[in-house]
Amino acid sequence: MIELKNIEKYYSSKGIKHYVLRHVTTTIKQGEFVSIMGPSGAGKSTLLNILGMLEEPTYGTYEFMEEDVTRLNERKRIELYRNHIGFVFQAYHLIDEMTVYENIEAPLLYKKVGGAERASRIADLLDRFNMVAKKDLFPNQLSGGQQQLVGIARALAAQPSIILADEPTGNLQSTQAEEIMQLFQKLNKEDGITIIQVTHAEKNAQYGNRILNIADGVIKDDFLVTTT
Amino acid sequence: MFKLNLKIAWRNLWKNKFYASINITGLAIGLTAFVLLLLYVNYEESYDTWSPELKNVYQVRAFHSYNAPDNKQYWQTSNESRIAALLKQNIPQINAITKVENDWYQNYALTVKNRKSLMIKGIRNADSAFFKVMPHSFLKGNEATALSKPNSIVLKKDLALKLFGNEEIIGKTISIVRWEGDAVTDFTVTGIVSEPNTPQSVNFSGIIHTGEFDKDNQNPTMHRYMEIYARLFNHENLNQINENVKKVYINNLKSTFTDSQYSYAEFLKSGNLPNCKLFPIDEAHQNPPFIASWIEKIKPVSLIVTFLLLISIINFINLATAQSFQRAKEVGVKKVLGSNKGLLVWQFLMETGLQSLFALLICGVLIELFLPAFNQQLGLNISFWSNQKLFFILLQLFGLFLIITLLAGFYPATVLSNYKPAAVLKGSFSNSHKGLVLRNSLIVLQFVISVTLIIAIGTMQKQVSFMNQKDLGFDKSRVINISANYNKKIANDIRKVSGVQYVGATTQVIGNTYAYADKINFQGKKLNLNMVTVTMEAFPALGIKPLQGRLFSSIYRQDTINTVVLNESAAKQLGGVVVGKQFRSYENVFQIIGVIKDYHAESFDKSIIPTIYKVTYLGGMSANGNLLVRFNSSHYQIIIRKIEEVWKKYYPNYPMNYQSLNDAFIHSLEDNSRFMNMIVIFSIISVSLSLSGLFALSTFVAKRRTKEVAVRKVLGASNMQIINLLNKSFLHLVIAANIISWPIAYILIKKWLDGFVYRIDMPVLPFIMATITSVIIAILTVSIQARKAAIGDPVKALKYE
Repeated sequence: MIELKNIEKYYSSKGIKHYVLRHVTTTIKQGEFVSIMGPSGAGKSTLLNILGMLEEPTYGTYEFMEEDVTRLNERKRIELYRNHIGFVFQAYHLIDEMTVYENIEAPLLYKKVGGAERASRIADLLDRFNMVAKKDLFPNQLSGGQQQLVGIARALAAQPSIILADEPTGNLQSTQAEEIMQLFQKLNKEDGITIIQVTHAEKNAQYGNRILNIADGVIKDDFLVTTT
Repeated sequence: MFKLNLKIAWRNLWKNKFYASINITGLAIGLTAFVLLLLYVNYEESYDTWSPELKNVYQVRAFHSYNAPDNKQYWQTSNESRIAALLKQNIPQINAITKVENDWYQNYALTVKNRKSLMIKGIRNADSAFFKVMPHSFLKGNEATALSKPNSIVLKKDLALKLFGNEEIIGKTISIVRWEGDAVTDFTVTGIVSEPNTPQSVNFSGIIHTGEFDKDNQNPTMHRYMEIYARLFNHENLNQINENVKKVYINNLKSTFTDSQYSYAEFLKSGNLPNCKLFPIDEAHQNPPFIASWIEKIKPVSLIVTFLLLISIINFINLATAQSFQRAKEVGVKKVLGSNKGLLVWQFLMETGLQSLFALLICGVLIELFLPAFNQQLGLNISFWSNQKLFFILLQLFGLFLIITLLAGFYPATVLSNYKPAAVLKGSFSNSHKGLVLRNSLIVLQFVISVTLIIAIGTMQKQVSFMNQKDLGFDKSRVINISANYNKKIANDIRKVSGVQYVGATTQVIGNTYAYADKINFQGKKLNLNMVTVTMEAFPALGIKPLQGRLFSSIYRQDTINTVVLNESAAKQLGGVVVGKQFRSYENVFQIIGVIKDYHAESFDKSIIPTIYKVTYLGGMSANGNLLVRFNSSHYQIIIRKIEEVWKKYYPNYPMNYQSLNDAFIHSLEDNSRFMNMIVIFSIISVSLSLSGLFALSTFVAKRRTKEVAVRKVLGASNMQIINLLNKSFLHLVIAANIISWPIAYILIKKWLDGFVYRIDMPVLPFIMATITSVIIAILTVSIQARKAAIGDPVKALKYE
């Protein structure tokens, strides 16, 4: 599904190149649940941003679903966002002026899903996440865990084939974090959604089936999680 | 999607009530001024367009200096009456031609049997063809025959109702006295016409047909001047027609030069460029002779109004871009959810559109509120909802709405939609410098406009007080001007009223001046000088004293024969010391007996023209409509009542019209004071708009720098230092704006001052005052917010992070 070849990312300032990522080459297959780990400043988020096409690599090629997306025009990229990629953020990034319902609805509107279909999908998601009673609340009326649930529901609304999550539990208490992780695991196993998450916590990584360890912009380790 | 965006827009407005209300109110005010201007322009544009038939109606205009206030040549509307018949004979394209008396703006006394006499303006005498040229719809009576008999009158509906109270009045009689001393003439009502739905150049409340205009005077040396209108069969080939018109006019003009002393060739040599043309009537209103057209008059106003709108739009842009970082997250998220730039730009434009719409609604209310006052100020009759061109105006408003939305919304929308999600969503995003340059330059622009206006007010104030205090050359207090011709008997009777000091008459007095130039020959020098016929007591009545020589007096018999007094300008043209010398005008010899100081007979934008004053009728006389009465006491009312009693004896059917010279003087300044009032109002609005923008922006900046302020306070900054910190960022903008506005204000004010012949030198004080004022109010405005930020508890601000 994802093929990275020799991805490099650097910023030059005053003639000196500051490498964020070096020689990153890896393949991620459909249905994997990959956790990107590493110390602060190692380049985890940059890698995720490149995977999400939010940033472009300075060098190297990136194929997403057998298509070279290294330098993609905006229209094509938006197409991918609408149909294949869902984002989950550490700070949830729900739109404050929209209710829970409207937040989940937004990607469907962009995807131009018909009204009836939209309503049934949102109803499904609300039901699944036990948020039916909260659908008319605004994000600031929800707890962090609930907000992140909405964030995930929103990411799932467009029925993506991959979810990119940047420290999805970074702002949550451990019980809530566990809940979210279990949810991810379930989505991965039952719905076959590919998930790539950036995380600090070894514990969270254990929910996935593969770990990429990054330090100083280089993949140091790449191993499968042994299911206990 | 649209509905959702609308919802978000509404929620955002509600969340930012404070800024939104500043934005919307500012925009509404700017819009109101602009829409008023728009209505005014529409009104003036609509002159003489009430009927499609008017496309074929033309005003005859000839290029001559007769009757012009300054003896220069103009394309005049008042022309020699014989042209009408000549044009009709010689130009086959003319369907009908009509002559109508100039509008004297004079009240005529109209009496209906068994009712009180009414003084009515706008009764005009016309020949029988008037309604064949001017398309009017007759409510009563027959258009074809209405004016066919002498002594008939056609009324506008309003006047008919005013006089009779109903419309069933065909065949009834109205007795009219036109000028004081005239005999009563009875007119038969033959028609009622409706008021056209657009204003008209040939305005009237009633058209009378006395019959005297149907034929021209038999005596070829007698000329009568009046307005002439022609109706063509179709309006093609106007240029060609006008060539013939010119030919006919010039041929006729040549034939009038029977005087061997002064030939047509000499007439041309002295700079006359005789010409005549048919002028489309719908263009007549915007090309008046003598005075500036409404377009010229409105230019400065439209400039200011546009600025006003610009200021409110700038407020809008500034606040929107400053606020944009609040919305950055939304943009980032939407982008990764699959929204593209276009959709986002659309969304933000819609939000701006929503605000402009609110502003437009408020503007509608404001227009309704201010239109009556506006109409009254300018003597107009504009309505909004019952406007004939309502659809057209609404269309213009819609266009305005689009333009404003685009102007105000496009930049912020582009800024917003350009946010890179990767940067925004990381959360470390701060937008302190995005659009800062633009925002700052817009603030500078706002203040340039405001400061320029403040400087303008200061200078205008100076010029106005200069004009009020300027020595006019005559004494304007304790004199009234009765509009009547000099009549020895009445003058003597008025003189007998106790309290009356002098009674005189002249054609040259403030409020009603009429100039006529004559050729003179002074020691071989040929000149064209203004000739004014006065009475013996005209100068004392005006309080004018001689500079050299003496004034007219009844003790000198020669004064009724051939003596003249010059004003200083005329004396200067003749070489300074002129008393005792003689000059010729045609075959007449005049003796100069004195020189008076130049005195103002018109407003200060006109220079005093070199003038010769004479009492004698030698060399012709000018009929004067100004009977000046000077009092030696200030108990006006009693004296005036007594004069009115005298008047009634002579003119029982005609009430006395009078005006004090003081009022006439104030009236002559009226245009100016109106303009100045407007500038003052607009300046106040523009300054307060700029300040509200600055206030909102500083509120915003203070809020955004809360953390910085807290850190600085923890580090030991005093409140004063914090206030200074925030002030500094705005202060240099205001100072820059001042420096930019000085030359602009200088140029504009110089142009305005140049319009006055009598004016002050460019003052420095307003410039300094404007700078000081603008800096002080800017500091005050920013400090209100800065203080709030400064006295805030740093713990709270830091804890929040």
